[in-house]
Amino acid sequence: MKVSTKHIRMSVLVYMAVFILVVFVCVHSSGSKPNIVVLFADDVGYGDLACYGHPASYTPNLDGMAKNGMLFTSFYSAANLCSPSRAALLTGRYHIRSGIYPFVLGPDSTGGLPRNETTIANILKQQGYHTAMIGKWDLGIGKDMVHFPMHYGFDKYYGVPYVHGACPCETCFYPHEGCQQSVIGGDKCGFDKTYCPLFQNMRIIQQPVDLLTLAEKYVDFAKDFITDSANAGESFFLYLAYNHCHFPQFAGKRFHNFTQRGIYGDSLAEIDWSVGEILQQLRHSQIENNTLVFFTSDNGAALRDWYNGGSSGMLKCGKATTYEGGHRVPAIAYWPGQITAGVSSRDFLTTLDLLPTITKLSGSVLPKVTIDGMDMSSVLFGQAKSARDNLLYYPAYPDKKIGAYAIRYKHYKAHFYTEGSPQSGMYNADTDCHPNNTLHHDPPLLYDLDRDPGELYNMNKEPQYKDVLEEIKQVKTKLEDAMIWGTSQVNKPKDPRLEPCCIPGCDPFPSCCRCD
Amino acid sequence: MMLLIKLFQFMLMFHAFYSTNSNPSKPNVILMLMDDMGWGDLGVLGNPAKETPNLDRMASEGALMTDFYAPNPLCSPSRASLLTGRLPIRNGFYTTNDHARCSYTPQYIVGGIPDSEIVLPELLNKAGYRSKIIGKWHLGHQTQYHPLKHGFDEYFGAPNCHVGPYDNKKQPNIPVYRDADMIGRYYEEFKIDKSGESNLTQMFIEEAIAFIEKQHQTGEQFFLYWTPDASHSPHYASKSFLGTSQRELYGDAVMELDYGVGQILGKLKELQIENNTFVFFSSDNGAALSGGAYVGSNGPFLCGKHTTFEGGMREPSIAWWPGRIKPGKIVHELGSLMDLFATAVDIAGMKLPADRVYDGSSLLPVLVDDKMNKNKTIFYYRGNELMAARRGMYKAHFWTWSEGIPTLHLEYCPGMQVEDVTTRNLTNHMAQPVLFHLGRDPGEKFKLKLNTAEYKKGLQFIMEAVIEHKKTMIPGQPQLNMCDKGIMNWAPSGCETLNKCLHGPPSNPFKCSWPV
Repeated sequence: MKVSTKHIRMSVLVYMAVFILVVFVCVHSSGSKPNIVVLFADDVGYGDLACYGHPASYTPNLDGMAKNGMLFTSFYSAANLCSPSRAALLTGRYHIRSGIYPFVLGPDSTGGLPRNETTIANILKQQGYHTAMIGKWDLGIGKDMVHFPMHYGFDKYYGVPYVHGACPCETCFYPHEGCQQSVIGGDKCGFDKTYCPLFQNMRIIQQPVDLLTLAEKYVDFAKDFITDSANAGESFFLYLAYNHCHFPQFAGKRFHNFTQRGIYGDSLAEIDWSVGEILQQLRHSQIENNTLVFFTSDNGAALRDWYNGGSSGMLKCGKATTYEGGHRVPAIAYWPGQITAGVSSRDFLTTLDLLPTITKLSGSVLPKVTIDGMDMSSVLFGQAKSARDNLLYYPAYPDKKIGAYAIRYKHYKAHFYTEGSPQSGMYNADTDCHPNNTLHHDPPLLYDLDRDPGELYNMNKEPQYKDVLEEIKQVKTKLEDAMIWGTSQVNKPKDPRLEPCCIPGCDPFPSCCRCD
Repeated sequence: MMLLIKLFQFMLMFHAFYSTNSNPSKPNVILMLMDDMGWGDLGVLGNPAKETPNLDRMASEGALMTDFYAPNPLCSPSRASLLTGRLPIRNGFYTTNDHARCSYTPQYIVGGIPDSEIVLPELLNKAGYRSKIIGKWHLGHQTQYHPLKHGFDEYFGAPNCHVGPYDNKKQPNIPVYRDADMIGRYYEEFKIDKSGESNLTQMFIEEAIAFIEKQHQTGEQFFLYWTPDASHSPHYASKSFLGTSQRELYGDAVMELDYGVGQILGKLKELQIENNTFVFFSSDNGAALSGGAYVGSNGPFLCGKHTTFEGGMREPSIAWWPGRIKPGKIVHELGSLMDLFATAVDIAGMKLPADRVYDGSSLLPVLVDDKMNKNKTIFYYRGNELMAARRGMYKAHFWTWSEGIPTLHLEYCPGMQVEDVTTRNLTNHMAQPVLFHLGRDPGEKFKLKLNTAEYKKGLQFIMEAVIEHKKTMIPGQPQLNMCDKGIMNWAPSGCETLNKCLHGPPSNPFKCSWPV
């Protein structure tokens, strides 16, 4: 077959035009700073997602996110409870520094995240990002709402700012199914508190919140925010901290009796749906290739309410303990075109590392304070292994005199102290998880997490690990010597009058705070 | 010239068309059965080490079966059931020497697979299949039980597990066969070093590849039963895999087996017969947790091998058949290795023999057509006792047991104690069976409360099937009651040629003792 030179010239022209167009589009999109979406689930444990080996969960969107992104098997939350872990995530610093301990903040707390802390939102705001937070803030409200998200770099806020278990729960499932009573008793939903408020920015728009439509509202808000930012050509930061799957579990109509895993599975399926909606919006807005999406959880599985809780998989104990089940969490990074699809990473990383990573990706500089995280962008892009070699595990009620209970150093973990927690189950099959007195271990218990992720085989009596133990002790001492303990924000006085109320000053408080 | 090329292309096409049509071969069947590999050992099922890339890919190209069971928590009965499609209590792979005791085929066992049982290759041979077993047979070692006498055309492997070395005086080393005759013994011609180094898995891989290639050349459809046993204690791996895993020798063995799976699937693709080959991967029972530190993992499940808890019988299972099974599918239908018998018969276009009871059914409806059968029941036996049964999401334990003789201190449930469930001694719950909902509680940690509506409904659903099962149960003649040191592998067929015949003691049958 003979091809005319004219035909060739035509083809070349067409190809060149396409090429120029492609280059233009690429340059255009890569010219803007990457968008950041952090999806933070509540009390979702290491073994809860199907892609982390749960036999009965329904999480096709998160599984798909892992399949098309990067799944981490040694990713840790810096704390084993809600408020501290959120402080650590947003500041890149241990919660010990910001004083978000012991246990958690409540709606009546006068304390909160100190205003001089720099959050990821603060950093990105300086870079011109459009910033929004949805969901469970959990870092205080305070007098005149001085600790509300708007004061920490977020342009917009939408959500129930603390755990819905801290308000009187009415309906958790369609149509009028009540919320699960706690198996351990004694801590029913916060019946003596104001109803759960749904905020838009600083204003309550619904009280009590309708939990059955909350996920949809979050998704709608997220989609609008993404669409508006994309249309305006602005880079954005979206931090969506789900109120799901914390006790008492809830889900919308469509997810009621949806899974074979009961109410926890239904609640998890609703998160999964929401993740799918957000990823789809990024595709629709054609910004998927310029957006890092990171999914993880605030701490390990809550095992207190029998089967109405999460799963630690093969890890030991769960929430509020310093065992692996308390800190190691599912984590998935997704960024088509930048992160290779379907990679599993064993890199040792933590929630502390998100702030430095995001700082790097946005071309910002780190705040001039001690940062406990490290930039992990080269791990995400498959260029390097994680440089992290340690993590301090602080207990739910940290004591400066004792310090961290455990440390992971390289692939070793040493427990200097251990204790169980009601959050990890009064009836756990593993008695070590039961609430009990603090146990001091000298020499510390030593585990090799590579070959023994379940912390089953203590090696501290084996002579060949004597040097390792010594080294670990030194590393821990050095790290703790450099730890500056912030004043406890949680121990500041409580004031019930600070609890959000849509009719300020109404009577009888708190039940009058109701705006249907 | 152009015309010539076109003509040639046409000829090629015609040739391809003609050759596939002239030989309308039935799909090949490959069953890969691992030894003591646990649910939690696969990356795709949540192992944090993520050291099974080939199996993970197999799952993403095929269907992951999350609720798939071994018919028994021990090797021999499980294997006999796979190859006969019938429970051990029917095919004779149990003992009546004691109540509810597991038994298997060590080399002093007198019994084996009875001639009255129809072994899968016997049926497939009628449909024109050529069958080969590569690896561990475990259905009896005496002459009458030889795989070539039960339908297999080719054999490379051993009748018993690779334990040893023995002194050849008190006990002979286990023989390795090629087809009818032995060609050496473990620890002699077939080395397994004390360090765990052995080339056996490589041999099993090479044998499989050679068989597939040969069958492809002859155009004759085949059944390959691939049963390497490196993941059974004492674990072994070849030099190039030793030390490559972060999970010690066990992990090295798993990595090499995973590599083997990749080699076999790769060969099918290379020969372009993957669309005509059904491959199923599973394991004979749960991971053996009693072998000390750094062994296999049963993920979130309770206990392990020997027990009728989920950890003893729930298996990592993947079905693979490109073009027929939708890639990345997750199947929650209950299944059992016995279903593979019925599935293979279905694939061969045959019907199950009508003269006996079968305990499995074809998986093709759910795998290929998405037709899920929700009425299946799993029966968990130890020896002659029905310990438990699962139907839908409910599982009832009629008997529980977790340790045979206290003096052995074998830990079948390390780190796990569920009150009244992981009972050390055989405990009768017939009056009030212990009930679990395996969707909400796959780890069998939280008993459903007696006398609740759910308990009654769940139990009734199970009991319908159990009553029917017991009513129609006609136990087979127990094959695993008698032992005899005189009939060990002293002088297997072919030993004369090799000059490797040994002289054992005279026959002296005794009642086998099954301590656990």
